[in-house]
Amino acid sequence: MKQDAFSKLHPAVNLLFFIGAIAFGVLLQHPVYLLAGIFASGAYYLFLNGRKGLKNILLMIPLFIFVTLFNPIVNTRGVTVLFSYLDRPYTLEALIYGVAVAATFVLMLLWFGCCGRVLTGDKFTCLFGNLAPSLSLLLVMVFRMIPNLLQKAKQIIGVRSSIGKGTAEKSSLKDKLNSGMTVMGILTSWALEGSITTSDSMRSRGYGTAKRTSFMIYRMTATDWILSAVMLVLISVVIFFAASGSMNVQFLPERDITPIKGFNAIGFIAYFGYLLIPTILNIREVIQWKFSESKI
Amino acid sequence: MKKSNVAMLTVFLALIPLTLFLGDKLPGKGYYITGVLIIIELSVPFFMAFEKRRPQARELVVLAVMIALAVIGRVAIPIPHFKAAFAIIMLTGIAFGPETGFIAGAITAFASNFFYGQGAYMPWQMMAYGAGGMLAGFVFIRNKIPKKPWIMAVIGFLSVVFWIGPLLDTSHIFIMMPEINISTVTASLASGFPVNVSQGICTALMMLLFGKPLLEKLDRVKMKYGMTEGENGV
Repeated sequence: MKQDAFSKLHPAVNLLFFIGAIAFGVLLQHPVYLLAGIFASGAYYLFLNGRKGLKNILLMIPLFIFVTLFNPIVNTRGVTVLFSYLDRPYTLEALIYGVAVAATFVLMLLWFGCCGRVLTGDKFTCLFGNLAPSLSLLLVMVFRMIPNLLQKAKQIIGVRSSIGKGTAEKSSLKDKLNSGMTVMGILTSWALEGSITTSDSMRSRGYGTAKRTSFMIYRMTATDWILSAVMLVLISVVIFFAASGSMNVQFLPERDITPIKGFNAIGFIAYFGYLLIPTILNIREVIQWKFSESKI
Repeated sequence: MKKSNVAMLTVFLALIPLTLFLGDKLPGKGYYITGVLIIIELSVPFFMAFEKRRPQARELVVLAVMIALAVIGRVAIPIPHFKAAFAIIMLTGIAFGPETGFIAGAITAFASNFFYGQGAYMPWQMMAYGAGGMLAGFVFIRNKIPKKPWIMAVIGFLSVVFWIGPLLDTSHIFIMMPEINISTVTASLASGFPVNVSQGICTALMMLLFGKPLLEKLDRVKMKYGMTEGENGV
C-alpha cells in the first residue's frame, strides 16, 4: 500500500497528532473551530481515500442532518420556539446546538477514518510492543492467522464439494447452516492442531527464555523530532487560549459565541495550523516531486 | 496482596473518581473523553494481569486461533447483525476462564476493526466484547453449571441482549447524543434492541450447533498435548 508523507513519519508522531486532533475536536464546540476541523480532516481524508473518500463524505451528510434534527427532540431548552408538538417546544437554539453536535460527530468520523488508514496494525504493535509484549505478539499472530484460516476454509469447502458434500445456491437454509458448521468444525480442529505445531516451534526457538527484542522499522528522525516539538507547542498554545476563555461558546438557553478577533485569533491560527500538518506535509511532497520532475 | 489486585483497587478507588471529577470540568463533548479514559482504566488491570502471567507459547497460539476464528466469524458472514463472533468469544471464556475470555473479546474487537475500519466506538466495542467473554467465563466457572448446548444457548442469548448489546449501545450515547439524560439513554438503548435480539438469536444458534463440538475439540487438544500442565508437562 502506498504511504502518504504523514504516514511515513514515526508512529508515535502519528499517534500524538491524532490524540490531539480528536481530543480538541471533541472539546471545542466553537462553530469556527468546528468548521476548521471539518475542513482539515475532510481534506486529509480525501487525500487518503480518493474517490471512495468522497463517496463516504457524501454518505455522512444524511447522518449530519439526522443528528441535527434529532437534538431539539431530546433538548427542549432555548428561548426562540419554532413550533410545538405534543406540548414540547422545538427551539431554534437547540437546532443550532444540534448543528454543533452533528459537526462534532462528523469530525470524529473523519479523524477516526484517517487514523485507521495511518495507524495500521504494524504501527500499533511497534508502539506497544515493548509495553505489552504478549498482547502485541497475540495481535500479530491474529493478523497473520486471519488470511491463513480463510484460505484453509476455502480448501475445506473445495474438498467437500468435490466429494459431493458441497452446498449449492438452491440448497435449503438448514443444509447451508449444517454444512457451514461442519466446515467451521473442521477448520477449528485443523487450526488448533496447527497451533500446537506453531507453539512447539516457538518453544524450540527459545520463546520465553529471555526478554524478547523486536524489530523496529521506524526510527525517530530529525523531521520527527521537529514535528513533535511543533505539535506540542501548538497544543500548548491552543490549551492556553482555551483556558483563557477565548473559545467559550454557549448554545442553550441563549446563544453566546465568543468572537474570534485580535489576540484571540492566535489560538485559532495555532489550532488550524496543527490540524493542517498532514495536509501541508503531503502538499510539500507533491510540490517537491513536481519540482524534481521538471528538472529532468 | 497480588499486584494485579493492587492495580484494580487503585483504579476503582482513586483513578476513576478522579477522572469523573476532572472530566466534569471539560467543555463541549468532554464526556466522550471521560468515557474513553474510564474504559481504558478499567481494561488496563486485565491486560496487566495477562502480561504478568507471562503466557506460554501454547496458550498464546491457541488463544490467537480462537480470536482469529471470532474475527472471521465477524468479517466473513455476510448477513448484517448476524455474526458468530460473540458465540466464539463466549466459548473461549467458557473454556479458558473469565480473564482469558476478556482478553479474547477485547482483542477480537480491536483486530476486526482493522478490517472494518476503526471508529470512535472502538473502546466501547473492546469493553463490551471483553465483558461478554468474561461473563461467560464466570457463569461456567468450576463446572457448577453443566455445559449443555441449550444452557449455553440461553445464556448466550440473554447475555447478548441484556449485557453485551446494551454495553455496545452506550457508545451511541457518548458519540451521537448532545447530552446525557434519561431520554437520550432510553433512545439509544431502545434503538439498539432489535439488533441485539438478532445478534442474540445468532449467538444462541451458534451455541446450539457449534458449542459442544468446539469445547470438545479444545478439551481434546488440552488432553492430547497436556496444555493444563504447562509448558514442561509435555
